[in-house]
Amino acid sequence: MSSPVQNWRQTKNIASLIGKIGTILSWTKVFVAPAGFENDVPYFAGIVQFTKNTRTTMQFVDFEKEPVVGQKVITVVRRIGRPKPQEVIQYGIKVKPV
Amino acid sequence: MNIHVAGVGITKFGELWEKSVFDLALEASKKAIEDSNIDAKKIDAVFVANMLSSKLDGQDQLGSVVATLLGLTVPSVRIEGACASGGLAIHQGVQAILSGLYETVLVVGAEKMTDASLCEITTALMGAGSQEERMAGLTFPALYALMARSHMEQFGTTREQMAQVAVKNHFHASLNDNAHFPFAVSLEKVLGSPDVCYPFTLFDASPISDGAAAVILTKKSIKKGILITGSAVATDTIGLAQRASLTGLSATKIASQKALQQSGVSLSDIDVLEVHDCFTIAEIMAMEDLGFCAKGEGGQFVASGQTKLGNSMPVNTSGGLKACGHPVAATGVKQIVEIVHQLRGDMGARQVKGAKVGLTHNVGGTGATVVVHILER
Repeated sequence: MSSPVQNWRQTKNIASLIGKIGTILSWTKVFVAPAGFENDVPYFAGIVQFTKNTRTTMQFVDFEKEPVVGQKVITVVRRIGRPKPQEVIQYGIKVKPV
Repeated sequence: MNIHVAGVGITKFGELWEKSVFDLALEASKKAIEDSNIDAKKIDAVFVANMLSSKLDGQDQLGSVVATLLGLTVPSVRIEGACASGGLAIHQGVQAILSGLYETVLVVGAEKMTDASLCEITTALMGAGSQEERMAGLTFPALYALMARSHMEQFGTTREQMAQVAVKNHFHASLNDNAHFPFAVSLEKVLGSPDVCYPFTLFDASPISDGAAAVILTKKSIKKGILITGSAVATDTIGLAQRASLTGLSATKIASQKALQQSGVSLSDIDVLEVHDCFTIAEIMAMEDLGFCAKGEGGQFVASGQTKLGNSMPVNTSGGLKACGHPVAATGVKQIVEIVHQLRGDMGARQVKGAKVGLTHNVGGTGATVVVHILER
């Protein structure tokens, strides 16, 4: 999906983004995925509001039931998609239910 | 501004196995040149709208490729703004003439999408989103689904109201031989089609299409010519989450107000419009953001039937992106071609009687680029 250097640039601030609590603003369930995410379908993703002016688009994980608008979630580190065998594994921030 | 549309040309939209992006661009361009009665040698510059040929065909410098196919050696550039590429290229063509450097230009939008697999095309189109959206595994149907859910939660917009957009646009496409889907569908068919991502079913989404459209713009006065009297572009954040609102496109408001101001016409003067209905919710939001109804009332507005051919405010007589098809960079040019025919009065079965003023609304991504044009006869 990305080169080691792109991967490093995109993920070097990950530690500061863990454990933040936000609220689901909108969500959907993806059935047709882009490259790298084919093995995850179907999956939930959406927009989470963290502070008044901070909203982020992210994938939702560990949801046993359908998400609900207004539900509280917390940020966690997870692998992003699945790399090809010769590619580096990319990690990023997702949210799970609180 | 008074830019004359001297000629228009369009190809069939659909899954066109036998045609490449180059064949399509050439076919639409030749038709526009022929329609204009202007000698190709009088073309001073070419603007080629295209989003995906770099990724899917490995071909850059499309400007040179298209000019060469036409036997020209004039300046020729490719314009890219995702699904708004076509509208942007028209805007660039207008600008080029207004600059005084060129008298006559060709604008052609062409896209070849059906050679790629569903996964390849989904990935390629996400180039029009943000890095954050790509890392979240989002797709364009999913991004518009997020807007649709917010619209439903905030304003009570229903699945049935969204489905009415598809039913209406399919009816219009049934009168358009060039449409990807030239047939009508029932409300039950739309609501019962397979889930794409909630709240959308398959029939809420525009298709992956091949096709091209072209226009000749000139500052020379043309007998019975159609004029572009407003051409405006506005931009917004590339990512949806970074916007103030998930239920409307502020770039639509800015671009339409600018274009109306340039042309001096008001909303009530507009007889026919082509709006960017990549998903059914997009047409509902467009009606609100353009100002044809209040924010939140778009669902009721489209369900009332006013936007159907024969009624007060016909929208997307071509069939829209939904049913005419959506070869992404061709769409913005196709909208101009449709309105030009409407204003000339030669539209046949789908003619809006007495149409004098038309508007086109072309969106890139989830609203990061919006182009609005006003045309008059």
